[in-house]
Amino acid sequence: MKKISLLILSLVPLMASASNDVTQLEGSFKVGPAIILIFILSLFILVGILFRAKDTTDYYAAGRGISRVGSGMAIASNWMSAASFLGMAALMYGTGYHGLSYVVGWTGGYVLLLILMAGQIRRYGKYTAADFIGDRYYSKTLRTIGAVIAILISIAYAVGQFGGIGLMFKWVMGIEYNLAVIIGGSVVLAYTLISGMLGVTKNMQIQYVIIISSFLIPLFLLTYKFDYFWLLPQIGYGSAVQDIVEGIQISDKSGLMNTLGHHFAIVPSPEYAMPWAPSSGQTFFQWMAIAFSLMIGTAGLPHVIQRFYVVPKARDARWSVVWGLFFICLLYWSAPVYSALGTILSAHPEVGKLSPDAIVVYTAQLGGINPLIVGLLAAGGVSAAFSTTSGLLVAGSSAFAHDLYVKVINPLARPKTQMKVARLGTLLMAVIITVIAMVDLALIAQLVAIAFSMAGCTIFPLFLLGIWWSGSNRAGAKAGLIVGGIVTLISLTYLVGARAGWVLPYSEFITYYLGAWYFAWIGAPLAIAANIIVSKLTPETPLEIRKFLIEKVHS
Amino acid sequence: METEDHKISFFKPTTQQALKNRNLIIKLFIAWAVAIFGFQVLLKILEKPVPEEALITFSSAWENIESGEAGHSDFRAAARSMIQVMGKLTIQPDHYAALKDGTGWALSKVYPEDELSELQQDVVYLSELREQITSLRDAEYLQTKELIISKAAPALNIGEGTLLAQLLAIGLDENLQVLAEENRAKIPQVMSLYLTHNRSFLTDTIFLGFPFHYFYTAVFLLVFFIGLCWIYCYRTDKLHAKLNFLEQVD
Repeated sequence: MKKISLLILSLVPLMASASNDVTQLEGSFKVGPAIILIFILSLFILVGILFRAKDTTDYYAAGRGISRVGSGMAIASNWMSAASFLGMAALMYGTGYHGLSYVVGWTGGYVLLLILMAGQIRRYGKYTAADFIGDRYYSKTLRTIGAVIAILISIAYAVGQFGGIGLMFKWVMGIEYNLAVIIGGSVVLAYTLISGMLGVTKNMQIQYVIIISSFLIPLFLLTYKFDYFWLLPQIGYGSAVQDIVEGIQISDKSGLMNTLGHHFAIVPSPEYAMPWAPSSGQTFFQWMAIAFSLMIGTAGLPHVIQRFYVVPKARDARWSVVWGLFFICLLYWSAPVYSALGTILSAHPEVGKLSPDAIVVYTAQLGGINPLIVGLLAAGGVSAAFSTTSGLLVAGSSAFAHDLYVKVINPLARPKTQMKVARLGTLLMAVIITVIAMVDLALIAQLVAIAFSMAGCTIFPLFLLGIWWSGSNRAGAKAGLIVGGIVTLISLTYLVGARAGWVLPYSEFITYYLGAWYFAWIGAPLAIAANIIVSKLTPETPLEIRKFLIEKVHS
Repeated sequence: METEDHKISFFKPTTQQALKNRNLIIKLFIAWAVAIFGFQVLLKILEKPVPEEALITFSSAWENIESGEAGHSDFRAAARSMIQVMGKLTIQPDHYAALKDGTGWALSKVYPEDELSELQQDVVYLSELREQITSLRDAEYLQTKELIISKAAPALNIGEGTLLAQLLAIGLDENLQVLAEENRAKIPQVMSLYLTHNRSFLTDTIFLGFPFHYFYTAVFLLVFFIGLCWIYCYRTDKLHAKLNFLEQVD
């Protein structure tokens, strides 16, 4: 500890001298932020090593030694990804109200998750989503498909995270984006392989504190500096929103400027706050579809569901959701502050088009916040991406090793072999994610939203009906998966097609109604309907499964 | 929820505990759905497209311009409105270019003809400087901007120390006297797109500094979600205690 303190003290002058260099928005190596980033990542790895997984039970479920508040923090940390930390403000940057559909979707889903699933999932007592699907629907094939879906969802979700890590590494190191993705991806891979889930869970509690602190400290400074109610910026920024709507004249806030020398002023911009503004290109339908898809996706994400197995009993699983949601909301109340202040600070056309995904950091930079604190903010963004990515890689590798390898390929595999396969799965996933992240498909939060819609169309119906209706059987589950899968496939084909310049039929209609960020609005209800209809027409669920549901899950 | 033949259905509970749990879930679900989607539907029902003041001014001025009856005040009003839209963060590059073209052209109609070429040279020089400078605080760049403001802003009745003047300095096309036909047709549509907004009393009421609907969605709903979760956990605990329902620990 003493050595660490000495190390920090010796770095302070170096960081202070570096602070003057960080005046440009992009392009140069930023020593202070780099040191802060390295320090925080080293801390994570240290904690990961100290609490590393000893066996497969530890690896998958962290020994179930986590308290409700601790588990809530882990849920929040696991959840607060680059999409929350960086992407949320990006979506609201310029057109605030449309972005709120993501805020509502990503928080409202927890209510569904709690009242419909959390306790029951814990009581069912399965390690992974595929485990549940295979067991509940008494099918090895469905278990395999469930595992593959879990891996695909984890990959889709992690692509956005790697994008966020790449953006922050690019900003700190002043290097090219693709190289930044490779470096950042390698670090997160090493960390996950070293620590496993026990390390991850312990780390998540530390990460939560770092993430939320790094996000809030600049907010207090920014609102204080620009003369808004800084004691509670999450409320104080209301005046900033109204200022954007009505416009700020130079004389209103005379003397306040951004770091590029522009006045803290903006022309009247009601499109920022007014619902589905015509100039935003976003509609009422899209707002509703995004919110709905994200909510049901939340209740179907494998790495979120898996967290409920970590707590000792169902009651803890329920209360951990309350705590988790509270910790998550601390960030979600705050993200719109960055977008509002960022909108004003970058309003002058001379600032040019900023990458929305980095607007959190740019806002702090343009606001003239001390570069070391901006560095802390960037490190927080990386931490957010790290905490989620490691959880995703664990969930994905669990599906690979536990659900595919042990349950399907080699049931006699020894724990050591199983562990090796889990790590191989992690490595494979990381490589795939890195490659996809290099293709700039969409904003971080939109990439993550794809994973939510995939989960909403496939896993959510299986869990919902599997828990609450014993009549849902194997044939129904397969039918639901086929329908949900087809909707997913159509939407993603049109997304990739649009980027690749393919000419596809009914392109305008399908990209609007089956948009990649919200296709679950129709995919999930169709999958549920298919499951119910086919279940009704085919032999009922075996007695032992029905008994298990009654005795173990609902009694 | 279970029956004698071991069937479970959420909608057909058969035990006291299952019945109460189902009722609680339904109540919370309805509250959740109404709070989220009900409010947005209400917002949609009540909304009306409302133009900004700048659009009303612009439309009147542009009508006169198109009919050939425009006076200097019409060109000035149209230019000021266009500059305001050019200052919007969300403006698309092609829309910005069209308005830039229109603003320069409107200015040329009210600017002394013999001094126009000099102003045009300043605009071209500023554009060249912009390509060369490494900092927006470059002294020569700032001086040139101030020079353009001092010449052009008074012609459009814009105060020199205002935001519009700042936007004007960088918002003039290099060819001031010509307005492309394509842009001439596009400008009214662009103005209408950026200056019309969906509003109602829910968006115009201010609450804790916010437009009310914004506060409701960005702040209140999140508090409400936590409240719903808390109520569910609390009521479930009470119900389990009342029915002596013990949960197994694996």
